[in-house]
Amino acid sequence: MLDLSFLGQTILNGLSVGCIYGLIGIGFCVIYNASGIVNFAQGAFVMLGGMITYVLVSLNVPLILAAAITIICVALVGVIIERIVVRPLWDRKATMFVMILATLAAQIVIERATLIVVGDQPKSLPVFTDLPPLRLFGIAIGYQTLWIFGTSIVLIIALGLFFQKTLVGRAMRACAINREAAALQGIQVSHMLALSFALSAGLGAIAGILVTPTQFTAFNVGTPFAISGFIAAIVGGFGRPFGAFLGGLTLGLAQALAVYSLGSGLKNMAALSVLLLFLFLRPSGILGSAK
Amino acid sequence: MTNSPATISSKLMAALRHAPAIAAAGMVAYAIADGGYIVTVVGFGLIYTIFVAGLNIFMGYAGQTSFGQNAFAAIGAYASAVLTATYGWPPLLAALAGIVATAICAFVIGYPTLRLKGHYLAMATLAIGLIIYEVAVQWQSVTNGYMGISGIPALGIGHYELLSDRAQLIFLAIMAVLSLAASWLLRHSRFGRALVALSGSEDAARALGINVRQYKLTAFIISAIYASISGTLFVHIVGFISPEMIGMNMVILAFTMLYVGGIGTTTGPLIGAIVIGLLPESIRSFKDYQDLVYGAALILILIYAPGGIASLDQVVKKLLRTKAPAKEVAP
Repeated sequence: MLDLSFLGQTILNGLSVGCIYGLIGIGFCVIYNASGIVNFAQGAFVMLGGMITYVLVSLNVPLILAAAITIICVALVGVIIERIVVRPLWDRKATMFVMILATLAAQIVIERATLIVVGDQPKSLPVFTDLPPLRLFGIAIGYQTLWIFGTSIVLIIALGLFFQKTLVGRAMRACAINREAAALQGIQVSHMLALSFALSAGLGAIAGILVTPTQFTAFNVGTPFAISGFIAAIVGGFGRPFGAFLGGLTLGLAQALAVYSLGSGLKNMAALSVLLLFLFLRPSGILGSAK
Repeated sequence: MTNSPATISSKLMAALRHAPAIAAAGMVAYAIADGGYIVTVVGFGLIYTIFVAGLNIFMGYAGQTSFGQNAFAAIGAYASAVLTATYGWPPLLAALAGIVATAICAFVIGYPTLRLKGHYLAMATLAIGLIIYEVAVQWQSVTNGYMGISGIPALGIGHYELLSDRAQLIFLAIMAVLSLAASWLLRHSRFGRALVALSGSEDAARALGINVRQYKLTAFIISAIYASISGTLFVHIVGFISPEMIGMNMVILAFTMLYVGGIGTTTGPLIGAIVIGLLPESIRSFKDYQDLVYGAALILILIYAPGGIASLDQVVKKLLRTKAPAKEVAP
């Protein structure tokens, strides 16, 4: 009986971290849809989200304000990367591989700059609601978990409305379907590229802020998060934002079950194995590729 | 005024084309003659020359993507380290075992992975590099986890051991020259031409009767063997290996070297490895900023000089052309 509730706890934790992977995965899709670029610097946004909030909170800025400032700052970082790394390569018609390498290098630069500024000690944030966890059938549901679920659902709905109802969102979807045709309709494709980086960086930052109280953040957490987000995007069928969220939940669950049955040392290896399995057996993901 | 301007510039171009490689070779010769601290730095550069030369075969010649070459350096390095330090094998035998193990792993990994294209291939190879890193951390009974393995003996056969720094450097220089020579021969063989053809267009290469999958896999295995050799040399020269030495930063470093030197050129790996290897020594207290500078340099090179130092002559040619377009037009 005790074991069963432990399994339930494991599943709950898996789904909660899966939401985070899903948000990062959506970030991959948003940029990919607008430009065909896979931004390997995605993890840096997650790391910066947690890290800048930590720095602001330690300067006695209230958490909500700190989070808001952080999201704006990280979105700006996204636009800066787009301007000084991606745009010049885009204009020179760089190959896909060069683009990946450049964004990966941008990730390393941000990581190392963070290391120099804040040091290598892991940092954490206080939980948003400091109350004892709810108990349900012997499963402890922390308020942070509820925050993660709640924020993710709100974001998914907001993104859905944004892509369906607003002119800008529909313009971005048009770019995803056919960039040349979108340009002929008068859509500023290059603006959409910058906007997609801002949006994706903001999502990454939110994911980073949400997850930091349950784990910790350090200069080098970005790459594992980016890989998990990428796996989520692949599992969901690359280029499908909501597929990516489902993929994130799947990955979080698979990872939690692997840890449950095989031990915590295998957490990253389980995620990477899910990636390779999908790549080899079903590269178009659960829902099928967007293109 | 016996030479026309055109011949002067073409001679200048020929000199320029070979100058970086000659300078890099000169640096190695200077280190051998000097024998001081520079030996360590250049030795490190020569080990990386071999690693990057392997990367160059798979990426420069065949135009494929691999972010996971550190995996194969790790397999070579750990095979040598464990077999010599833990089981007392002679280094040469351990190195051979490491190379065979790497080739088998490269075949097993490459067979399914190389079917992938584009960012799928990039991410799959990145994942393979990270899996090997995780294995090196987690498989404590063999790899000793984060603590790493120390007490690895120097290279040697029987009672002859390469103990002095200078002897080691000469040996590394010979290995680097051999690996570059092999790379050159490969590039100018039927096999190398096939790789260049498939890097241009796989469909066209297939139409010419090239077995694209088999050639890609063979190139992958060859580059893995290069990585394995460099990993083995590294552990025997340094005498120590830990997971941190084979992580992601190794991949970024190798790519920076490849692009600085000039991707797709035979001597590019040597030039890049020596230049990037010497960089930390020319700026004091550079160590903290090392990876940051490598990353930033890589971005700048990718944007402004994708051909690297080896394409310097073409950059100069372009400059001359824009300054004096009339000369180029004249027959």
